[in-house]
Amino acid sequence: MAVPVTAPASQVRPVSARHFVKLKLRVMGNNFRGQGWRVALFLVGSLIGLWFAVGAFFGLAAPGLAGDDRYALLVAAFAGGLTVLGWLLLPLVFFGVDETLDPARFALLPLSRRTLVTGLFAAALVSVPTVAVLLALSGLVVTAGVFGGWSAALVSAVGVVCGLLLCVAGARAVTGAFASMLRSRRVRDLAAVLLAVLAASLGPLQLAGVAAIQDTDWDRLTGVASVIGWTPLGAPWTVGIDVAQGRAWAAPVKLLITLVTIVALLAWWSRSLESAMVGAASAGPTRARPGVTGGVVAQLFPRAVGRLRRDRFGALVSREARYWWRDARRRANLITIAVVGLFVPVMVNFGGQGFTIDSDQGFSAAGDSSPVLVSLSMLFVGLLAAVTLANQFGFDGSAYAANVVAGVPGRLELRARITAFSLYVLPMLAVVAVVIALVIGEPTWIGFMAGALVATYGAGLAVNSFVSVLGAYSLPETSNPFAMNSGAGVVKGMLTLLAMAATGALAAPMVLAAALLGDTWLWLGLPLGVAYGVGAALLGAYLAGDVLDRRQPELLALVTPRR
Amino acid sequence: MTGEHPALALRGLAKSFDGKVAVAGVDLDVPAGSFYGLLGPNGAGKTTTLSMAVGLLRPDAGGAWVLGHDVWADPVTAKQLLGVMPDGVRLFDRLSGAELLAYHGLLRGMDPAVVDQRAAELLDVLALADAGRTLVVDYSAGMKKKIGLACALLHGPRVLVLDEPFEAVDPVSAALIRDILKRYVAGGGTVVFSSHVMEVVQRLCSHVAILAGGTIKRVGTLEQVRGDRSLEDVFVEVVGGRTATGEELAWLSR
Repeated sequence: MAVPVTAPASQVRPVSARHFVKLKLRVMGNNFRGQGWRVALFLVGSLIGLWFAVGAFFGLAAPGLAGDDRYALLVAAFAGGLTVLGWLLLPLVFFGVDETLDPARFALLPLSRRTLVTGLFAAALVSVPTVAVLLALSGLVVTAGVFGGWSAALVSAVGVVCGLLLCVAGARAVTGAFASMLRSRRVRDLAAVLLAVLAASLGPLQLAGVAAIQDTDWDRLTGVASVIGWTPLGAPWTVGIDVAQGRAWAAPVKLLITLVTIVALLAWWSRSLESAMVGAASAGPTRARPGVTGGVVAQLFPRAVGRLRRDRFGALVSREARYWWRDARRRANLITIAVVGLFVPVMVNFGGQGFTIDSDQGFSAAGDSSPVLVSLSMLFVGLLAAVTLANQFGFDGSAYAANVVAGVPGRLELRARITAFSLYVLPMLAVVAVVIALVIGEPTWIGFMAGALVATYGAGLAVNSFVSVLGAYSLPETSNPFAMNSGAGVVKGMLTLLAMAATGALAAPMVLAAALLGDTWLWLGLPLGVAYGVGAALLGAYLAGDVLDRRQPELLALVTPRR
Repeated sequence: MTGEHPALALRGLAKSFDGKVAVAGVDLDVPAGSFYGLLGPNGAGKTTTLSMAVGLLRPDAGGAWVLGHDVWADPVTAKQLLGVMPDGVRLFDRLSGAELLAYHGLLRGMDPAVVDQRAAELLDVLALADAGRTLVVDYSAGMKKKIGLACALLHGPRVLVLDEPFEAVDPVSAALIRDILKRYVAGGGTVVFSSHVMEVVQRLCSHVAILAGGTIKRVGTLEQVRGDRSLEDVFVEVVGGRTATGEELAWLSR
C-alpha cells in the first residue's frame, strides 16, 4: 500500500509552454468572472486595438495595393523599426508589462530556467497588443505578395512572426532588467541615467528621420532604410521585400540576425527573471543604521519639508514625500516625467528645423516652434505629470487602511498628497521650462511656458483627484514596478485617456491665450497660469475631498489586492 | 457618560461578497474593561466582522458602536476612541519604525512632544529600538506585529481591536504582547481580539465568542462558554470539525 514519497523521475510529466498559456488564459478568465464592467472594458479596448490594427494594415499594404515598389522597402524598414522601438520603450514609459503570470509564483516549482522562460514567453504572446500588431504588420505580407508572388509572401509572413517574437522578447528583457535594477537601491540613480540616455538617443534619431523626410531625396532615404533592414530593428520586416526585389540571398541572413537577437534577449530576460524570483522572497536586507538622533517626529520629516508644522498635514506630506522616493513604482513614474518632459518638447519644437538650430531662420519657417506649439508641448508635459496621480491610492494598496482607521478628512488627504507630489514635480517643470526655452533660443518665452505648465498641471491635479478617488484599482504586490494586473491594463488606459482629455480641455485656455494675445501674453502668462493652476488644484482637492469622505471604505476595498 | 455603554456593540452586522455570505448578522456586546476573544476557524468571518466594527469595511446591514458612538454615523468620535491592528493589511512599510510611529501619532492629532516621548518608550519596551532606521518592509513577521501594535496603542485608545495579534509571532514576542495587553486591560482599557489559538484565548480572556459560518455560535464569559470542558472541545464541537480516520492519505506513510 505504501508508496515512496519521492516518485521516480520517469513519472514526472514534462511541463510545456502549453501549460503556461492555458494558465494565463484561465487567470484572465477568472479575473473577468462576475465583473461585467471589466469584460465590457476589455471588449472596448480590444475593439480600439482592432480599429488601429486594421488602419495600420492598410497603411503597410499601401505600397503593394498601389503597385509602387519604390516605397515598399522604406515602409517596411521604418514601420517595423518603429514598432520594435515602441515595444521596447513604451512599457517602460507608459503602460507596464502584463504580469498576469508573476514569475515569483513559480519560484518553488521544480522547473528548469529554460522551461520557465519559454513558458512565460509563450504566455506573454497571448495578449491583445500582440494580436493587434500581428494583424497590422500582416500588411507587409500583402505588399511582398503583390511584388514577389507566393514565395515572397511566405517569407514575409515568417519574417513578421519572427519580428513579433522579437518585440515581445525585447519588451520582457528590457522591463525585466530595468526592474531588477530599480529594485536594488544602490543602482537606482544609474537606472535613471540609463533611461535618460536611452530616451535622449531617440531624439536625434527622430530629428534625423524628420530631416530625411523633408529632403524628399528618396534614394538617400531608401539607403537609410536598407541599412535599418540589416539591423535587428528592421531585419524581420524587410525579408519579404528582399525576396520580391530579387535579393533572395538576404532573407536567410536577416532571419538569422533576428533569431540570434531573440535568443540573446531571452537569455538576458532569463537572467533578470532569476533575480525577480529571488527578489520576491526577500527584497534584500538593508543595513540597520543605528545612532538615530532626535525624536521620532523629527525623523519622519524630510529636510525639504522641515519647516512644515508638526501636525496631520505635515505628517501626510512627509510620508508621501518619502514614498515618492522610496517606492520603486513611484520612483519609476518620477523618472518618466523627467525624461519625457524634456525630450517630447524638444522633439515637437524641433520638428520643422532639422539639424540646424538657427533661431532667426527657424522662426520664420512654417511648422517651427511658435507660442502655440510651445504651449501645446507644455500642455502635454503638464498632463503627463498630473496623470501620474490618477491611481495615487493604488500605490498605497491596503496600507491606506491606516488613514481610514485614523479618519483623515478627505480634503486634507488630497491636499497633502498634491503638496508632496508637487515637491518633486514643480522643480522638474521649472527645469523643463527653462531648458526648453533656452534650447529653442527664446528665453523671453520662459514666463508663459512655465505658466502653461503650472496651469495644466494644476488642472490635471484637480481632474486626477476625482479619478483617483472614483476609479482606483489595485496594483499587484510584486517588486516589478512595471507590473500590473491583466484587465487593469485596459481600465488603466481608458482612465488615463479620459483624465488626459479632461485636463486638456481644462487647460485649453492657455493655448488659446498664447494664440490670441500675442506679446501681452509674454508677461501675463506666468501669473495667470500659476493662479489658474493653483486655483484649479485647490478647488479639485476641495470637491474631490467631499467625495472621498463618503467613499473611504469603498476606496480601500478597491485598492486592496485580491488574494 | 460612557459607563452605561458597552465598549463595543455590534447589531445585526452582515456582509456578503459577490453573493457569497461572509457574515450573516452578528450581534455582540463587549463590556467595558473586558478582555474579549473572538474565536473561529479560518474563513469564519472574523476579519470581516472586525473590519466592519472599526470602519474599514461598509456593512450591508447593521451597525457598530464604540462606547455609544456610532462608527458609521459619527466616525470621527468613534475612531478617536479606537486603536486598531488589522490583519492582512500592509503598514506603510517603506517608513522606518520610528517614522511610522510618528506618522500614526500625528495623524491622530497628537502633540509632537507626546508622540516623541511615547514612541521612544514603546520602541524600547517592544525591543524595536535596535532596528534603528531599518524600513518596516525589512522587519521580520514578529517585528511587524509589534510595530503594528505600537501604532494602535500610541494615541491611548479606550478600546483596542486586534485581528490575529499572535499570528506568526515567536513565543518571546507573544509573551511581551500578552503582558502589554494585560496591563492595558488592568488600566481600564478594553481589548477585543480574534484568534484560533485556544491556548492563548483560555489564558487571557474574560469573555469569549465563537464565530463560525458568519454567525455567533456561543457567547459569554469564558466560564459560561467553556463549562466544565476544555475550550478546544467546545470549539471543535460547535464548529463541527472531523477527525481523520486513518483510511485516507495512506500514501503519506511509507
